[in-house]
Amino acid sequence: MILHRGIAALRVLNARGLRLSPVPLAWRNLLSDRRRLARSSAGIGFAALLMMVELGFRNGYIESMLLVMRRLDGDIMLVSSQKYQFERVAPFSRRQLYEASGVRGVASARPLYLERTASIWRNPQNGRHFAVLTFAFDPDQPVLLIPEVQAMLPELRQQDTILMDRRARSVLGDVAATTDGELSGKHIKVAGTFWLGPNFFNDGNIVMSDRNFFKLLGGSGRDRTDLPDVEVGVVKVQPGFAVAEVQRALRAAMPPNVAVLTKQQLIDQEASLHAKLSPVGPIFTAGALVGFAVGILISYQILFSELSDQLAQYATLKAMGYGNGYLVGVVLRQAAFYAFAGYLPAWALCIGLFRYISDIMVGPMQLTLALTAQTLLLTLAMCMFAALLALRRVITADPAEVF
Amino acid sequence: MTPAFASTTTRPVVRVDRVSHHYGEGDSRNQVLFDASIEIGAGQLVVVTGPSGSGKTTLLSLIGALRSVQDGAIEVLDCNLTGLGRKELVAVRRNIGFIFQAHNLFDSLSAYENVKMAMQLGDCPPGEMRKRGMAILDRLGMADRADYKPRALSGGQRQRVAVARALVNRPRLVLADEPTAALDRDSSGAVVKLLKELTLKEACTIMMVTHDNRILELADRVVNIVDGRIISDVTLRDAVVICELLRGMELFSHLTPTEITRTAEKMRRRRFAKDETIIRQGEAGDEFFVISQGSVAVRRRAPDGSEQLLETLHAGAFFGERALMVDEPRNATCAATTDVEILILDKVNFRQALEQSPSFRDQIQSIYFQRQ
Repeated sequence: MILHRGIAALRVLNARGLRLSPVPLAWRNLLSDRRRLARSSAGIGFAALLMMVELGFRNGYIESMLLVMRRLDGDIMLVSSQKYQFERVAPFSRRQLYEASGVRGVASARPLYLERTASIWRNPQNGRHFAVLTFAFDPDQPVLLIPEVQAMLPELRQQDTILMDRRARSVLGDVAATTDGELSGKHIKVAGTFWLGPNFFNDGNIVMSDRNFFKLLGGSGRDRTDLPDVEVGVVKVQPGFAVAEVQRALRAAMPPNVAVLTKQQLIDQEASLHAKLSPVGPIFTAGALVGFAVGILISYQILFSELSDQLAQYATLKAMGYGNGYLVGVVLRQAAFYAFAGYLPAWALCIGLFRYISDIMVGPMQLTLALTAQTLLLTLAMCMFAALLALRRVITADPAEVF
Repeated sequence: MTPAFASTTTRPVVRVDRVSHHYGEGDSRNQVLFDASIEIGAGQLVVVTGPSGSGKTTLLSLIGALRSVQDGAIEVLDCNLTGLGRKELVAVRRNIGFIFQAHNLFDSLSAYENVKMAMQLGDCPPGEMRKRGMAILDRLGMADRADYKPRALSGGQRQRVAVARALVNRPRLVLADEPTAALDRDSSGAVVKLLKELTLKEACTIMMVTHDNRILELADRVVNIVDGRIISDVTLRDAVVICELLRGMELFSHLTPTEITRTAEKMRRRRFAKDETIIRQGEAGDEFFVISQGSVAVRRRAPDGSEQLLETLHAGAFFGERALMVDEPRNATCAATTDVEILILDKVNFRQALEQSPSFRDQIQSIYFQRQ
């Protein structure tokens, strides 16, 4: 009904405003048969939807791997140069972090600890066990920019107390209602929850103090009497110092086993790892490509049959004295209109679909402006490419054959 | 010598000179036209007939610059088509109106918009398009259907829109292939009537492949093609013959094709035997004469009764204009000295021709004053 009214309104607009301009043949062809338009936009929209969902999955997957990183409260990150993925444990010496805090321009260099194999959460409802990802820091030197975590620093200082991710997968049980739990066979108290979410490898996150971390999970230090090793050094730059300048100074001061990256570099490195090297990113990229290829076939079929139906008309235009340039323009414009006609409903559908998928997979599945622009361009490219293939039909149309 | 511009005005609209055409190459080579020649002047309705596959459509598509000329020469609207490239052929087509057997209208466009597609190629300013488009649709009885889509029109109405599209740029040449084949009696009547009017009023040349007897009756010329050869070319209407004659005469060399056609339309042909008197001195004069064949002696009788031979006029010359211009009795006697053929224009039409065509008037006057 809305579409119907919209088309009627556009018609009126056309009749008035475009009276002096040339006949909008491509536009008229698009609207001439509404059932065909519905079929065609469904076909093209399907391909666009496929690309949007695949790329949405890919972005969502990558974004889920970056959730914690984005919330690190620092300008520069120190990590072991052995560390190729954020959640893979590869600590470096605490002593090196102390050295870093002495470097000129560094305001603070605080440790973040991380564990993901020994932290076993027991579902309080059904008693089953699941590995979760545990982050720990010194409550006096907080490093996580999660408001609920920042508000519960006093609770974190208590013994055997943790904060639980209430956006964790449901397999972990009713987390929000849990006050007493079990982690790695030890009794713990859940003082509160925060909002973060699982990712592809982990079902949920736990945050605790460094003391509880060493007590409950043994920490990553080989010798308890020794200073524990650090997973990430979160560095803040003093006001008045440029991040790049401090980064250079840190590089000079740190031994080669410690990599010095800005927060953004760390995020970019992680994102590119998941996009290219992990098996998951490329799978979704391939899925989007399949959508693109299918889209080319569909839109080629649509344009080709439409041009075939009107071959005599196009040949007549040639006989009247229209050149190939005009015909090419009409076909390309029509292909572009089809791209929009297919894309817009697919996009609208994706708003709901992404929300639904996001709830199911508990991940950051977002129809961002970048994704919108990217898939719109892909859809346009798809239709244009199909148009170039189908154009042969009108270019070879021989006006002499119409006689 | 005749000035160059004068000769262009009287050049035929279509001149086909020893054209042959074949399709395919090698063993599959199939010749469809053999040495075809034809000249068509302005304002003629030429019907091309012949069995299917005889090459008539090929001839039409060659004249319409839809195919490249292979062998021979074709001139259309003062443009030599031989050896033209694709782009130049497209430019020539813009001056020709095409009417096809199928209407070939875009279903997505209204009747008016289909016509406007043609106007966009012509010289009509955008602000005038609606007016001109509606005018031509009105002439075809389609004004109240201008905003209908072809799907909502009957077969006859669609074809009328297609005719409007072909004619809206007022082409000097219209090529039509069985334009009435798909039409009912009334529709084809309307289409044919309009086409005929165009040839008469606007000196538009129409070349049409058809088997429709109603059109044959209106044709000025019927060209019959069999097996790729023009086997007959019959001129049916006197005006066409007269038009051809006038075109060759010095007196009419400055007239536009339209003016020639208009004048020819009003002339009659008459033959006089040797020694027959055509006009007699002292009689009231109400006709103007042009000699197309033979010669005429002009004699004046003096008041004393003696007769004097003033001059002998030959083909292309005219006489009898003075009595019409000054409203006096004939001042000489003209008699045929051989068998002659004369073209006659009556007084009313002669005066009209003078009024309507300044070049004709100038021409007559300059020769008239030379004679004084």
